Amino acid sequence: MTLLDLTHIAKSYGRTAALADASIDILPGEVHALMGENGAGKSTFIKVLAGIVKSDRGEIRFQGKLATIDNPQDAFDLGFRFIHQELNVVPQISVAENIAIGGPYPTRFGAMVNWRELNRRARAALARLGIDTIDPRTKISRLSAGDQMLVKIAGTLSDTGNPACLFVMDEPTASLTGEESERLFKVIAELKSAGASVLYVSHRMDEVMQICDRVTVFRDGRFVETKRTNDTDKDEIIRFMTGRDVKDVYPERTFDLEEHLVCRAQDVSTRRIRGLSFNLRKGEVLGIGGLSNAGQSEVMQALMGLDRILEGTLKISGKAAPQNPATAWEGGIAYVPRERRREGLMLTRSILQNTVLPHLRHLSRLLGVVNRRSERDMTQRVADIVRLKADSLKQPCYQLSGGNQQKVVFARAVGASLNLLLLDEPTRGVDVGAKFDIYTLVRELSARGCGVVLTSSDLPELLGMCDRILIMQDGRQTEIVETRDLDPHGLLSRFYAA
Amino acid sequence: MGLILRRYGTLLGFLAIIVFFWSQLPETFLTARNLINISQQISMLAVVAFTMTIVMVMNDFDLSVGSTASLAGVVAAFLFSLGYPVWAGISVALLVGLLGGLFNGILVSFFGILPFVATLGTLTMFSGTAFLISGGKTIFGRDIPGTFSGFARSGVPLDGIGLAGVTMPFLSIMAVIVLFLVWFALEQTTFGRRLYAIGGNMEAAKLAGIRVRTLRMSAFALTGLGAATAGLMYASRVASANPTQGSGLMLDAIAAVFLGMTMSEEGEPRVLATLVGVLILGILDNGLTQLSVDSYIREILVGAIVVSAVAFSSISKQKR
Repeated sequence: MTLLDLTHIAKSYGRTAALADASIDILPGEVHALMGENGAGKSTFIKVLAGIVKSDRGEIRFQGKLATIDNPQDAFDLGFRFIHQELNVVPQISVAENIAIGGPYPTRFGAMVNWRELNRRARAALARLGIDTIDPRTKISRLSAGDQMLVKIAGTLSDTGNPACLFVMDEPTASLTGEESERLFKVIAELKSAGASVLYVSHRMDEVMQICDRVTVFRDGRFVETKRTNDTDKDEIIRFMTGRDVKDVYPERTFDLEEHLVCRAQDVSTRRIRGLSFNLRKGEVLGIGGLSNAGQSEVMQALMGLDRILEGTLKISGKAAPQNPATAWEGGIAYVPRERRREGLMLTRSILQNTVLPHLRHLSRLLGVVNRRSERDMTQRVADIVRLKADSLKQPCYQLSGGNQQKVVFARAVGASLNLLLLDEPTRGVDVGAKFDIYTLVRELSARGCGVVLTSSDLPELLGMCDRILIMQDGRQTEIVETRDLDPHGLLSRFYAA
Repeated sequence: MGLILRRYGTLLGFLAIIVFFWSQLPETFLTARNLINISQQISMLAVVAFTMTIVMVMNDFDLSVGSTASLAGVVAAFLFSLGYPVWAGISVALLVGLLGGLFNGILVSFFGILPFVATLGTLTMFSGTAFLISGGKTIFGRDIPGTFSGFARSGVPLDGIGLAGVTMPFLSIMAVIVLFLVWFALEQTTFGRRLYAIGGNMEAAKLAGIRVRTLRMSAFALTGLGAATAGLMYASRVASANPTQGSGLMLDAIAAVFLGMTMSEEGEPRVLATLVGVLILGILDNGLTQLSVDSYIREILVGAIVVSAVAFSSISKQKR
C-alpha cells in the first residue's frame, strides 16, 4: 500500500496556475525524487504538502484514507517533516538546544534546565542517524553547513508526537560540499532502513540517480512521468523536464551583428567567480547559464562594478571596467537586478521617481535643480517604450502588477543611451504578456547596437533570446556554446557536464 | 473622510491647538508681538529640526545634534574669551559642527555602524569635549562680545508694514533662511532626490548608480552644520555658553520631524511638514506657559501629543 497519494492537485494565484494537475505516490520506505525546471511547481507542491498553501483542487490520501492538510500542524501530525534549503537554525545556541527547541526542555526542580538530560537526548537523536562525531554541547554556528543540516534532521527525529514517516528535503545539498553530501546520503539510507520515506527535491541529476528509488517529473505545474531510477537515465529525465516547444514566442534577431565589441573579458576573477572570458559584440545577446547559483548573478555583479576584479582584464566600450554602479551607469551600462522588490524598486515611490533615478544628472540645471519638465518627458518617453500600463506616472510602484513593476525597472534602464544591458532573471514572476513585451524590447535595444548579457533559469528563454550561452559551474566558466543547434535538453546536459 | 483625517489629522490638531489657546488667552495669544515672540523662541529648535530632516529622509537620524550645538557655542565663546574676533569664533564653531557631522557620516556610511549607536557615541564625545573646553563652567559676561550677543536682540523693524514698535528678530530670519535652504536642497535638487531614493530603498538606490556612501556622509555633515548654527544662535540669545545648553534640542527636533511625517501619505519626512511639527511644539510651549501650566505637566502633554499623533498615523496606514 502506498504511504501517500496526491492526485490532480491544482493551485492558482490569480490567473497564473502554479499547479495545474500534479500527482505523486510515495511508497513506504522509498526515496522518491521530485524534479522539474524552475516554475514547474515543485515548491508550491511542497507547500501544499506542508499545509502552508491550500490547494484549489485535488485529493490527498494518507495510507489509503482521505486526508486533509489545512495547516502545518496537520502535516506534522501525519508525520511529515520538512528540511528546507535555508537552514533555520538558531546560530547562537548549542546543538542540543537546536534539537530540543521545538518542544519543552527537560527540567530539574520544575524550573532549571536539565542540561545533562538535554545533551543526552540530543546525543541519542544523533546516534539514531549513525552520527557520533558531533558534540551536542557545541555552538551550532561552529558546525559546517552539512553538519547543521544533519542536526536539523536529528531535531525532527526527536520531536514528540507522531513518529516521522516522511521527510521532505528541498534542495538539501545546495549549500553542501561533496563530503557533506555523502554524509547526508548515509543518513538518508539510515532513515530509509528505519522504514521512513523521503521526498527528495533536487536539480542535481547525479544525486538523484545515486540515492533515489523512483523519480517523478513535473512540468508547467503538471505531472509528466514517474519512473524507477533503474529504468531511466539522465537524458530521458531531462527530456521529461524540458519537453515543450515554445521557441516561436521569442522574437528572432533580424539583423547581422556588427564587428565592434561592447565588452571584452579575459580570464576575469572576482571573489566569487573564476576564469570569465568572453567577447560581446554590439547587438549580441549573451546568455549566462548553469544550475542554480552557479555564479550567474556574480558575473552580472562583476560587470556592474559591484565586485572587485582580482585578476584578468575587463573592458567595456573600450574603457576599464566600472568601479561601482555609479560609474557603470555613467558609462552606459544598465542593470536589471534579480530581486525586483529588494534591489530594483523603491516601492512606495512613484513610477517617475523610480525611473529617473540614475539619470538625474542629465535632468538637472544649475545647482543641481531638477528640471521637472524634462523629468516628466523622459519618464513618459521610456514608459511608452516599455509599454508600461499605469494610471499615472505618479502612481506608487507597490500598486503595480509584477510585470509592470519589472517594466519600470526596464524603463529606468532604457532612459540612458545604452552600451551594455545586464538582465538578471528579467522575466521572473512576470506574466506572459509582459514577458513578450520584454523580449521585444531586448531585441529592439540590441538592434540599436546595445550588447545584452542575460541570465535566466528558464532554458527556452535562454535559447530563444541568446546568440551564445556562457556556462557557469560552481563559479567557474566551463564553456561558451552557440544556441543555434541547441535544444533545452542539449543545454541542460551542458550544465551537468563535468 | 478617513483619507482626509489621515492626511490632515495633524494639521487639524495644529489648528485646534491654536483655536484653544486663542479662546483661553484672547488678549495675548494671537497678537503680533506674541507670534513674533514664538518665532524667536522656536528658531533654534527649528534650525535643528530642519537639518535633522535631511538625515531622516534617508531613514537615518542623529542623536548628537544637542551636544554638537552645545559644543559649537562653547567653542565660539572660548575663542572670544581668548580675544579672537567674532567672525573667527563663528567660523571655527561652524567648522566644528560640520566636521562633527562628517565624523558621524563616516561612522554610519563607511563603517556601517547603526546611526543610533554611532551618534549616541558621538553625543557623549562632543558633550565631553564641550565640558573639557569650558572647564565645565558657563562662559559669560565680558568674554562674550557685544556684537555677538547683540545679533539675537535685534532684528528688522516692521514699522513699514503697520506694526509699529515690533521687530522681526534676526534669529527668526535665520530660521527662515535655513528653512528655505533645506527646502531648496531636498525638494528642488538632485541631491534631495537621491536622499529620498536612499530612504525609499537603499539597495535599489545603490544599484541604480546613487553614490550612497558619499551622500549619507554629506547629509550628516549638513545636519552637524545645522546643529552648530543653532548652538551659536542659542549662545547669542543668552549671551553665554555652557556645555549643556543644547541638550534639550535633540529630542524635540526628532519629535518635530516625526510629527511632520504623520502628514505625508507615505510617511516620509518633508521639511515643510517638519515646520508644522516645530510650530506645534513651540505654540504648545508658549500657550501652556502663558496659562501657567506646570512645566512638568507641559512635558507630559507634549510627549503624549507626539505619541498619539504618530500612533494615529501608523494605525491608519496599517488599515490601508
